[in-house]
Amino acid sequence: MLHRLAPPALHARLWMALQRRVLAWGRMVYLGAVVLVLTLSPSTYAHPARRSLMQRIYLETAPILPGFTVLAALLSLVLTRIVVVTALSYGLTAYALEMVIRVLVLELIPLTAALFVALRCTIPSGAALAQLRHAGHLDALRRAGADPVRAELLPRVAAGVFACITLAALSCVVALVMAYLGVYGFNLAGLPSYTRMFGQVFSPAVTLVFGLKTLLSSLAVAVIPLASALYDEGEALSQQSELGGLARMFAVLLLIEVASLVGNYY
Amino acid sequence: MNATPPSPPPAAPEALRPVAHLELKAAALLLFTLALIVGSVMYLLYARGAFEPTQTLVLVADDSEGVVVGMDMTFSGFPIGRVRRIELADEGNARIVVDVARKDAHWLRVSSVFTLVRGMVGGTAIRAYSGLPNDDPLPDGAVRPVLRGDATSEIPQLMASARELLGNLNALTAQDAALASSLAQVRTLTERLNAPGGALQVLMGNAQDAGKVLAALDRTNALLTRIDGLAAKTDTQLYGPGGLMPQVQASVAQLGGLLADTRATLKKVDAVLAEAQAVGANVREGTADLGALRAEVESNLRKIDQLVGDIQRKWPFARDTEIKLP
Repeated sequence: MLHRLAPPALHARLWMALQRRVLAWGRMVYLGAVVLVLTLSPSTYAHPARRSLMQRIYLETAPILPGFTVLAALLSLVLTRIVVVTALSYGLTAYALEMVIRVLVLELIPLTAALFVALRCTIPSGAALAQLRHAGHLDALRRAGADPVRAELLPRVAAGVFACITLAALSCVVALVMAYLGVYGFNLAGLPSYTRMFGQVFSPAVTLVFGLKTLLSSLAVAVIPLASALYDEGEALSQQSELGGLARMFAVLLLIEVASLVGNYY
Repeated sequence: MNATPPSPPPAAPEALRPVAHLELKAAALLLFTLALIVGSVMYLLYARGAFEPTQTLVLVADDSEGVVVGMDMTFSGFPIGRVRRIELADEGNARIVVDVARKDAHWLRVSSVFTLVRGMVGGTAIRAYSGLPNDDPLPDGAVRPVLRGDATSEIPQLMASARELLGNLNALTAQDAALASSLAQVRTLTERLNAPGGALQVLMGNAQDAGKVLAALDRTNALLTRIDGLAAKTDTQLYGPGGLMPQVQASVAQLGGLLADTRATLKKVDAVLAEAQAVGANVREGTADLGALRAEVESNLRKIDQLVGDIQRKWPFARDTEIKLP
């Protein structure tokens, strides 16, 4: 009895931790693949499921759209002003606008959109899903012959991805407009040179990296919190699991950002 | 027995709030997102010149460092083209393929010059200059050399020169350098100059020689005094009453009268010469008449000779000169 209560040896603990981590990452990847397959299968968009999907997408995107747009506009305006004033004091005004677009549109805004969606949509959705699982709702679904992944998880993931892409697209447009207004003011005189510079910044490679980054960030933000909510086990505390999911999400976001920076600048 | 009874699949406990006109709103949201993405893509394509007709210009440079695909080619500061491709030519040169917008291509002429400039700060810039705006327009696919102007390429040379200059300065200002010893000698010289009789001592080298110079100056002063007296006496003898100069003036006056007489005599000689010329002219005319007279006399003599000949032939007593043979 005493032997059973004694704490396990260090290597055993390390082994267990490693197992847990590998299992969590494996489940996350697996769930992501399942969601992708379900997204591409036409049955997902059949009538009853479609309504639930549309409702989820609308309810998770529309309410946060105005707030985030205002936030993005303010952030863009302030950062543009800071960069332009600093560049002016160094005599590098010609490079200020390009820097603003690179920093804001390429790097900051998509990341901000992903984090905003994570905080406002997918992490609460994950918590709700975990509550459902604890309440036995998912088991009840399984017993009733329904697929909990298709019924509860997929709409949430799809809503998260959609919200993330919409917010990123909208905030990029808002940031572009705000950067233009911050530099040129309310006139169209600078539009040709601005457009030309925008075209120079968004070379095909940079555009590809930007698109992939936005897509992967949205997937990471949507899948990881929900996967950790769906799969946590009894022996691990729920709170620990949620925190682990958040940590994994931030780690993946960081990796995506680093990879995009490497792709853009190396 | 706490077993939960098998329930029919249940609606989720956290039921979503109902949304009026859900399908319409969701479709509008989807369309909005789609429009954002499509609009962004179209704007990007427009910004990258996808909808703009272009003509190609190939710039040949010996080094394409700093040139990147997508960078602008400017004319008077305005972008008129962008680099589409950079490739290595068979000759080892860099070929920079530039797309020039057709609407701006008229700025480029056959005689246009293209430069590739690398500044100290910022990127490389390709610039076009058209000196003769009335030249023929640049044809599509033209190949032109590009001149390089590199502000940073002068830096190594500049640094080498600066290093050499600093080395020379160091050598000049070293403790045992020639400049330091020269300055020390200048200081000694200045001290000697400031001493009484310094300048002369500096010039002559020692005090004895300087003393000799002073003595020579004194003697020169005495000599000058004597020369002054001599000059006063000479003045009296030259310009005084009964001196040399009044006599010279009288002689000059006499010489003036003599010259007037000579001038009158010469005038007479001129008149005589004029008469002699007239005589000469008469003699020349007489000589010409003599020629004519002589010719006439000669012709008369010839006629007389001929007449005498005729008379002799016709004269009955003419001598028969013929010898008649029996």
